[in-house]
Amino acid sequence: MFTKILIANRGEIALRIIRACKEMGIATVAVFSKADEDSLHVSLADESICIGPAPVVNSYLNISAILSAAVLTGAEAIHPGYGLLSENPKFARLCAQCGIAFIGPTWEIIQKMGDKDQARSTMSAAGVPIVPGTDIVDDPVEAQKKADEIGYPLLVKARSGGGGKGIRLVENSAAFINEFQLARQEAENAFGDGGVYLEKFLTHVKHIEIQLLCDQHKNVVALGERECSIQRKNQKLLEESPSPSLTPEIRETMMAISRKAALAIGYENAGTIEFLMDEQKHFYFMEMNTRLQVEHPITEMVTGIDIVKWQIRIAAGLPLTFGQEDVHIQGHAIECRINAENPLLDFRPNCGTISFLHVPGGPWVRFDTLLYQGYTIPPYYDSMVGKLIVHSKTRELTIRKMKAALCELVIEGIDHTSQILLDILSHPLFVKGDYYTDFMENELGKPWSE
Amino acid sequence: MISKGLFKKPKNELEGHHRIKRQGDPAIPTELCRSCPSCKQVIFTSDLDNNYQICPKCGHHFRINARQRLNMIVDTNSFTEHHSDLASINRLEFPEYEEKLTQAALFSHEKEGVITGIGKINGHEVALFVMEVTFMMGSMGQVVGEKITLLFEYATEHHLPVIGFTVSGGARMQEGMLALMQMAKTSGGVKRHSDAGLLYIAVLTDPTTGGVTASFAMEADIILAEPDALIAFAGPRVIEQTIRQRLPKGFQKAEFLLEKGFIDGIIHRNLQKDTLSRLLSLHSIPKGGDENGSI
Repeated sequence: MFTKILIANRGEIALRIIRACKEMGIATVAVFSKADEDSLHVSLADESICIGPAPVVNSYLNISAILSAAVLTGAEAIHPGYGLLSENPKFARLCAQCGIAFIGPTWEIIQKMGDKDQARSTMSAAGVPIVPGTDIVDDPVEAQKKADEIGYPLLVKARSGGGGKGIRLVENSAAFINEFQLARQEAENAFGDGGVYLEKFLTHVKHIEIQLLCDQHKNVVALGERECSIQRKNQKLLEESPSPSLTPEIRETMMAISRKAALAIGYENAGTIEFLMDEQKHFYFMEMNTRLQVEHPITEMVTGIDIVKWQIRIAAGLPLTFGQEDVHIQGHAIECRINAENPLLDFRPNCGTISFLHVPGGPWVRFDTLLYQGYTIPPYYDSMVGKLIVHSKTRELTIRKMKAALCELVIEGIDHTSQILLDILSHPLFVKGDYYTDFMENELGKPWSE
Repeated sequence: MISKGLFKKPKNELEGHHRIKRQGDPAIPTELCRSCPSCKQVIFTSDLDNNYQICPKCGHHFRINARQRLNMIVDTNSFTEHHSDLASINRLEFPEYEEKLTQAALFSHEKEGVITGIGKINGHEVALFVMEVTFMMGSMGQVVGEKITLLFEYATEHHLPVIGFTVSGGARMQEGMLALMQMAKTSGGVKRHSDAGLLYIAVLTDPTTGGVTASFAMEADIILAEPDALIAFAGPRVIEQTIRQRLPKGFQKAEFLLEKGFIDGIIHRNLQKDTLSRLLSLHSIPKGGDENGSI
């Protein structure tokens, strides 16, 4: 086992990883930017090192500073968390060159899955169904021809895009050329790579993802699914596991296909395969996230498996001590993302000092947060300030528990999203489980803008 | 503000009780990073390798050796080297010159300060010379002068354009007058090549100074330079000490010379191959043109 791990992240996920290390008896090194001097992860870790000024490019994305911190403190491994450097193949490769274990898959796999076009073809070859679409297209005339074949509406997606960025929706043939050129330009500006591909836009779809754990000894287990269809501008707001719309047979099929694909590509560590599922329950590969997911706690709740600890064990070369037959999904879990955003003002992010904080308690209620009373949220980073996760026997009981917990959550000093989450939980379509990725846009309405 | 010692440390033993056996402690290999002399930022060598040895943060052009440059400019497997066995001897019995030559050869893995030969740039056949910065700072002795002159003579005979990359501290002082004579000899080669109506493009890289500047580097039909390259006859420090005056900012830099009309253009390294190939296309023999290759 590693004796010391550096956590190359901030916020609640840094805390989550530090906690796992403390339980495992592993010493921790936190890195932080100048704006994060007062952050909880800085205090909770055994050692902490400042790696640069507030902007992420100069601190949390500063590879040389992070590697130097790891070498100076003698950290044997780096956990990248999610976002930031977690899916950066160059970082993973440099870690290896410095003799530091990267807690995640190999850089080759990260690179392969980070290229959305290559990921599609790799997954297709591994037997995973993919959304009808094209490979990379450069020529507008050829693209138009292919687009007309696929049919509208369709999406123009950037090869290097991610996190909901670099996607354009085209409604009809007449608008195609213009949108195609804009998408290429945007991708070039945002990612330095103008490569785009086309994909049929599936309306009325659910976002379902399968959590995988793969060790270095070719053991692969699937930890069930998560439904993440409650999204706004491609950012998830609320997730649940299991999905209310999967039958046991479909769940089995999806897990089997995902496991087979992970084996075929030689995947290692925790990973997630994201699917889109239409009303007829046809599912298609969307992308693979080669890292820990924000919403991993709901899987932990329903399986009783600590994903972060297993990530560390797998990176240390240990084999999984359980097989697929030992994974039992028990009960239901929901996660609500608490963002420092004001839904009344079109989800405008805000920051400020937390004057009062009350965290909900009781059995099977978990609040992963970077907040503490008196903490001032810096304006430079992601607006998510916490994740409220609850677990209960049935979906209905879980919704009840979540509503109670959300009402008990008090964060004074900033605007946040708990009210809109309560509205979602009370919506009849959500209660029925009959909701799709367009729920926020088309179903929830806009009572907050009145 | 929360204090550092706010949380107690749990006394949990290491899970599994055994440490991973590792081969050595984590370390950053020295060749992994470099510091940019211009912006002082730390850069990964792999980023430099993928970016023509140009700093991705400030655009500073790192000095590169002749083989790296050939690799960037010439089509794969198209280069044939000429006179690779020519090496200098200490004709004037200059003290410690032999040792210097041996050290330079060991350091640069080259026999002399210039590589010459024939190659293709995007399909255009050209005669090329590339000076070697790591061999005694690309200084010009008899062998450098001879190889360049022979290349011009070959190019004249075979109707080929010449592309030359210069980098030099000037004439090699250990060869005294014999080195200075190379200025006249190479200039003669350039003149005959020019009289045959053939194209000569020079790319001046950092630093191009002394006798090389005063001869073949500045005699090209088209004179290009890399950004921020020092191009001078006598260096700025020598001039400052002689005239006892402060020189203007950027004096003797490529940008300054472009402004004063001494050079024709500044080309970033990543654009050099395409620029050269475009210039070669523009100056190539038109279909049905003069069979002597005149333009």
